[in-house]
Amino acid sequence: MKRLVAGAILVSLAAAPLLVKSVDLKGWIGIHAESVQQATPFEAARFLTQATFGPTDDSIADVQSLGYEAWIDQQEAIPVSATHLAYLDARLAQLKLTNANAHLNTVDVYNSFWKQSVTAPDQLRQRVKLALSEIFVISLNHAGMDPRGVGSYYDMLGDNAFVNYRTLLEKITLHPMMGTYLNSLGSQKTKSANSPHPDQNYGREIQQLMSIGLYQLNIDGALKLDDNNQPIPTYTASDIDGLANVFTGYSWYSPAPSKSTFFGLGLGPDVTIKPMIVYSDYHSSLAKTFLGTTIPASDTPDAAGDLKIALDTIFNHPNVGPFLGRQLIQRLVTSNPSPAYVARVAAVFNDNGSGIRGDLGAVVKAILLDPEARDPANTSSPTFGKLREPIVRVANWMRAFNAISPSDWWRVGDTSDTVSLGQSVLNAPSVFNFWRPGYSPPRTAVGNLNLRAPEFEIVDEVSVSGYVNTMKRFVGNAFSDVQSVYANEIPLASDAGSLVNRIDILLFYGQMPADLRTKIVNLVNSVPIPAQTAGPDKIKAALTNRVELAIYLAISSPDYLTQR
Amino acid sequence: MGGALSVLGAGAPLALQLAVSGAASAADAADYKALVCVFLVGGNDGHNTVLATDADSWRRYFSARSGGTDSLALMPVGTPILPKGATSTITGRKATATNPEGWGGVLEIVPRVDQPIPDGTDATNRTFALHPFLGPLKTLFDSGRLAVVANIGPLVQPITKVQYLTRAVPVPLGLTSHNDQQSTWQSGGPEGTRIGWGGAMADRLYGSNGANTVFTAISPTGTALFLAGRDVGQYVVKTGALPANVVVATQQGTLFGSKVGSAGLTDIIQGTTSTSSFSDDYAAVVARSMQAAGAVNGAISQGAATLIPAPGNYVNPITGAQQINPLAVQLQTVARLVASAPQMGLRRQVFFVSLPGFDTHSTQNAAHADLMGQLAQALAYFDTALSNVGGSDLRGSVTTFTASDFGRSFTTNGDGTDHGWGSHHFVMGGAVRGGNIYGQYPTLGIDDTGFSNPDMVGTALIPTTSVDQYGATLGAWFGVSSTDLASIFPNLGNFNSANLGFV
Repeated sequence: MKRLVAGAILVSLAAAPLLVKSVDLKGWIGIHAESVQQATPFEAARFLTQATFGPTDDSIADVQSLGYEAWIDQQEAIPVSATHLAYLDARLAQLKLTNANAHLNTVDVYNSFWKQSVTAPDQLRQRVKLALSEIFVISLNHAGMDPRGVGSYYDMLGDNAFVNYRTLLEKITLHPMMGTYLNSLGSQKTKSANSPHPDQNYGREIQQLMSIGLYQLNIDGALKLDDNNQPIPTYTASDIDGLANVFTGYSWYSPAPSKSTFFGLGLGPDVTIKPMIVYSDYHSSLAKTFLGTTIPASDTPDAAGDLKIALDTIFNHPNVGPFLGRQLIQRLVTSNPSPAYVARVAAVFNDNGSGIRGDLGAVVKAILLDPEARDPANTSSPTFGKLREPIVRVANWMRAFNAISPSDWWRVGDTSDTVSLGQSVLNAPSVFNFWRPGYSPPRTAVGNLNLRAPEFEIVDEVSVSGYVNTMKRFVGNAFSDVQSVYANEIPLASDAGSLVNRIDILLFYGQMPADLRTKIVNLVNSVPIPAQTAGPDKIKAALTNRVELAIYLAISSPDYLTQR
Repeated sequence: MGGALSVLGAGAPLALQLAVSGAASAADAADYKALVCVFLVGGNDGHNTVLATDADSWRRYFSARSGGTDSLALMPVGTPILPKGATSTITGRKATATNPEGWGGVLEIVPRVDQPIPDGTDATNRTFALHPFLGPLKTLFDSGRLAVVANIGPLVQPITKVQYLTRAVPVPLGLTSHNDQQSTWQSGGPEGTRIGWGGAMADRLYGSNGANTVFTAISPTGTALFLAGRDVGQYVVKTGALPANVVVATQQGTLFGSKVGSAGLTDIIQGTTSTSSFSDDYAAVVARSMQAAGAVNGAISQGAATLIPAPGNYVNPITGAQQINPLAVQLQTVARLVASAPQMGLRRQVFFVSLPGFDTHSTQNAAHADLMGQLAQALAYFDTALSNVGGSDLRGSVTTFTASDFGRSFTTNGDGTDHGWGSHHFVMGGAVRGGNIYGQYPTLGIDDTGFSNPDMVGTALIPTTSVDQYGATLGAWFGVSSTDLASIFPNLGNFNSANLGFV
């Protein structure tokens, strides 16, 4: 459906290209109209900094030749080629060659993330997948998480990154790892007045975190206010009760469901990757009221029917567009989008142009093609952009410098500790993610302007030094299983200026401040290159030092750490 | 922009204000005081932490918490620990390591002053107890160094059930939302608030900390809004031998073959050459990290700080396994920093430590029992460590208190509890007037035919003591003036008492 829609837009534009003046369409016009300038390498690199795990020579060339919009269309159309589940299953098989009792661990999920995030061709999907995992959060720090299950959850987010939000929400709701993480799995109806109530966790957080948020929003994301200038809650305790009743009677997959399998006994091997199933005996048939909708009491429980009504109701709430759109903008482009930017993206969520609500592929495209995202003037704005998150910085290094994994398992290991990166994929402290979208850092210039900077919630005196120490290990190839030979940089290293120019494109989309450039060039020149008589090994060692020093200084600099 | 910054002093303006304002808060130059906030992340189940054991309360408690796949009701005072597999005469269920039948009864505590009888209960004398794995806290309570403060929560002003149900009185934003209530407990405002009351108190008192103001507000558990003031910033340390994390490459003679590389790195990472406020703000944290590291790592490596014992092994009461107790490890770092305070010329400090895992929607029995065990071991360890700091008993100088997102539902969801509002908390220290329950322990019970509980709406407790009153009582002890307390807690005047008297 989506691809047909995109095709229809292309046809209509092709019929009347001269009428189209929107900046949004610059990239598309770029392919077809010679008069519109191709993106510069710097512009392409900046776009790729927002849309991928970091620019490379090839991806910059692709964006330049295709234009932004056609590149997005091409990316969204790339079929999913590799899965985390396949990685994890292969890894387990390999581990079992030497130890029959081997089992997967959380680090295997992290390592799979590095492999796929860095090497997969569908970079836009990979990057959006990470963003979705920071909105629809499950975490490996929960004792009930199975690495295969978490891998399949992350696969599911990627599979559905460009389909409809309604579909995504249902797959999230029924995934057994979400069911385990937020306790809807195994939640039971209330049997009588004095018996236990259904678990409220998922019924609450699907509203607060995954769809509509706490307060009613205008389409531009601003709070609606009541007569007393107070925000207006989107839901109350009774809405949570209603949804908690909807999310009863779901538990582990089984080909032969029984009371035992509902309670987790006698399960098959793939239950952590197969959607939860209905156990009608445990599903509430009471009346359920939420968000202005009432499902009447019924004689027979209808879990699937109730779920459809509940998810449709949530999906159609007017908050979803601005609530989700704003967060996706924050994940990809800027911590403080203008209200107009949010409104434009929310409008696309509400209607992709073909009357379809919830088209995530169209939403992602709208976010990346928006004039606010593309405006080159924003690269010098004091407040535009966002702090790059730690694992994205590392992926940026891996991609920019063609890092490879000698074992092909990408064994980086656990980077969660604050003396490391303070972050590992899918390992947030809670369902509230590593940071909150509304976090405003105390005693900062950004905070004093009442601006948000979510990623600063994990910035502290320990983690900042942890990052610089950890990057020294990456850049210096101290991680034995992820290495760069700097094949494209070493040939430039005898000329510090040329070397730093290349780093400038790949890490700074050409915006490295002149003073920083001068400092790095001077420091590179402080590494002497021995005379030819010293022999090729010593010369190569010196050139490698120059490359590693330049990259290390650049990637450690606070200037690099803001993406804008 | 940026460049090398002086970060060790927080700036002069407030210190100058202190000098000219007689009513302002001030630290006695000779003394030392510290406040330690122990945050129980996720919302501690107060109903299974401090219990009312009189007949009416217990009956309603036991009923509401029984049933489901794993009954949460704790066993009455005096119940023996059943061997695994033995059948409880109270519930008919077989005792296991993970159910209350296997843990023995709740531990009676006797307040030195009788609790008043609230409306709604037919009890004539209220009696109380602690979770079976809070034995070390019972000892501290009986010794007079631990107090309970009952049914605290964020409030704008006092509120009755009718006022709540009719929305006649404003309530804090985002009740029952984790992030907003964590923020509100620490700062009085929801997500996005930037000044916490620990930091705000430190703003009034850091003038006595001399050159090392940067160490006024310290967290060994990441950023903490509680510690953030207007002038005083949160300073984050790690646990382990040295609290400050050093940038290794700045201390090496050669960096990637360059003899000036380390100096270059030192320069580049502490400043910016661009125009981004995000980068400037980041660089300021790096600068503070690098410039403060030597002082704190040096001070903690000598004298009394080196004599603080490590916390003993923690044994999980459910599994019997030896575990690291992350809260005790953080409190060890706090104790060492307290011990090194004289070395650094510090008179007033606020600390923030945390223990995660309290969002017990599911499998609560095993999880919460373990957390209770960790909390008790950590607090008792801290009490002992402070009793002998280089030969001095500093327990009277350090007041430790618990905080948490919210309390939890009075009823069970089958094997856990959901989000609530009010909850019970602990205050510990030599200055604490312990052995008592402060505030009003609420009437317990879900509304039923002929019974309407004035202290509960739905399954949540309506707080009868505000976080502001709790904080102001601690602040008064800390040396914050009543004028400043009224400014830090703008709603304080809405309540009948600004000092609960527990310290």
